[in-house]
Amino acid sequence: MTSEPMLQLRGLKKSYRGKAALRNLDLTVNDNEIFALLGPTGAGKSSTLLASAGLIELDAGRVGLAGRDVTDADPGSRDVAIVFEGFNLLPVLDVKDNIAFALRSPAFRESEAEISLRVGRTAELLRISHLLDRDVDTLSGGERQRVAIARALVRRPVMFLLDEPLSALDLKLREGLRAELRQIHRQHRSTMLYATHDYHGAIAIADRIGIIDGGVIQQAGTIEEIYRLPANMVVGRLVGSPSMAFFEAGIEDGHVVVKGARQRIPVGEFGTVASARGKIVLGVWPEDIEVGGSDLADASLGTIYAVDNRGYERAIQVETSAGSFRKVVPLSVPFTQGDACAFRVPKGGGFLFDAASGRRISQVEGNG
Amino acid sequence: MTHSKTSSIDLATRWLVLGLLALYTVYNVGPIFWLLLSSFKGRMDFFTMPPKLFFTPDLSGYQAVFGVGAAKDSASAVGVFDSLVNSVIVSVAGTSLAVFFGTLAGYVCSRFNFIGKGDFMFFVLSTRMLPPVAVLVFYHLMFARLGLADTRTGLVLVSIFANVGLATWIMKGFFDGVPKEVEQIAIVNGYTRMYAFLKLVLPMVKGGIAATAGFCFIFAWNEFAFASILTTTQAKTLPVKISAASGATGIEWTQICAAGVVLIIPVLIFFYLIRKHLLMGMTFGVLGRR
Repeated sequence: MTSEPMLQLRGLKKSYRGKAALRNLDLTVNDNEIFALLGPTGAGKSSTLLASAGLIELDAGRVGLAGRDVTDADPGSRDVAIVFEGFNLLPVLDVKDNIAFALRSPAFRESEAEISLRVGRTAELLRISHLLDRDVDTLSGGERQRVAIARALVRRPVMFLLDEPLSALDLKLREGLRAELRQIHRQHRSTMLYATHDYHGAIAIADRIGIIDGGVIQQAGTIEEIYRLPANMVVGRLVGSPSMAFFEAGIEDGHVVVKGARQRIPVGEFGTVASARGKIVLGVWPEDIEVGGSDLADASLGTIYAVDNRGYERAIQVETSAGSFRKVVPLSVPFTQGDACAFRVPKGGGFLFDAASGRRISQVEGNG
Repeated sequence: MTHSKTSSIDLATRWLVLGLLALYTVYNVGPIFWLLLSSFKGRMDFFTMPPKLFFTPDLSGYQAVFGVGAAKDSASAVGVFDSLVNSVIVSVAGTSLAVFFGTLAGYVCSRFNFIGKGDFMFFVLSTRMLPPVAVLVFYHLMFARLGLADTRTGLVLVSIFANVGLATWIMKGFFDGVPKEVEQIAIVNGYTRMYAFLKLVLPMVKGGIAATAGFCFIFAWNEFAFASILTTTQAKTLPVKISAASGATGIEWTQICAAGVVLIIPVLIFFYLIRKHLLMGMTFGVLGRR
């Protein structure tokens, strides 16, 4: 895989009626990669995509695409394709003409023979050949999104911008279509910027992930890199399933002490700690937390607040004096609601964050 | 037991509702029916007490208002044909232009932000809240000075002024119901916004345009206040003509009734033609989002 940048966003700023949607956002998407933009609703995902397509006027910043500065270029000249979450198909056209829509425009005018050939081939790829003559309002939700993706694919643009393309679909359809997208990407080599609020969806499809919140990219990298060294508490909250556990903590005599907990962890285990003044937070990936009964040595105590049975495993929520966390445990661990639960953070299994800014202040990589 | 009790209450409610609906229908349709009946009555039958439900139909009223047959050149014939033509021309032209400008303005107000948009929208709406009487005198003076008094052109202008605000508001609502993704998809694929507006957005709001035209047409067709002040002889519209329908032998009631029927018919035909769009227009928000 080459790592030539395909899309480069630099210092994007945009506000809508005084409300900032993008605050100095920087992002690079490499050629031929699927880059997932993961963040909650209102984080700035859609604005990032619209800015890349040229559909919103930026207050500041530059947009580079395929090696040229397109900040002031017409959306139609950028050669990108966009798929939205909900409304995608033009109701005044049938399925065939919706797909052909991209090829008939003055910017990409193709001969009708070529159009018919490409529409047919793309429809086959997305297994919607039997729908070509249908009216769009007779299609199911999944069929609609297939047609929308077909319209994006048919033109072979330099880049795909996918704004929650699968979020309106049910779980099974979503997983199936996601796998197909991944397959199409492998066969046709394309660059995709894929915005989603779904953590599982993001890690399943993406080569790299950008965690976005508050109109800025909080951290970008492979999921392994993000797990190894999360940039801040926002990243911890948005990554993982369940997401990162946070404990109020302080530093006493060179040890990290979690509020109300017995365990004392030497600060040295976290590497150089940038600022040890003020309140700090200990963040641990739930997978790293050891839980058990009263026989767990050197452990702190919490209470099982909720147990969510998933059939082959259980998700427990543990209330502690320093905060609560969720963790998945095997069915063999016999926790029930209200039980006492001993827990322990293993050596090298956590990160320290500044409580006020949320920034990570420890330097040692986690277990990964 | 309980079951039969509830169903007897249901039955009573049902009859009550039916009764109220029947009353409402009589209240609404009754006068129109009476108008229709009276338009076929001769001078003698008209004032008979108690009113006659069965009588020999007499077409003299219709002949007189159209100036044909026996009533032709009769001194008592009011003759409303010219004013009917005036009404049609003024209403159709006024409605078409108001809907045309309202559609353009509604699209701009739905899709673009500009300084003072809120104030503009309120101003546009306020033109409809204004009682015509408040400005009649000024219109009269202005139109006299401009040579627009007693002309169809003048009435068309008034009709546009009166309806373009309403048309803008209604059309803005319909455009708001069209997702902005429609234009975004077009623009990203290299089409112009004009193309998206004309070929994609407009077809999606055609029901809305029909509904708007319906409202504007009704207002234009029924407009009385301006027409009564701004016209004297040439440009009189049908409502104005009817209000002053007296011939050489006093008030011609049969002719007034016949003219009233003539006034109602175009509205009925128009609504019959656009009824499908009216329904589409009303449910547009639901359909558009599917």
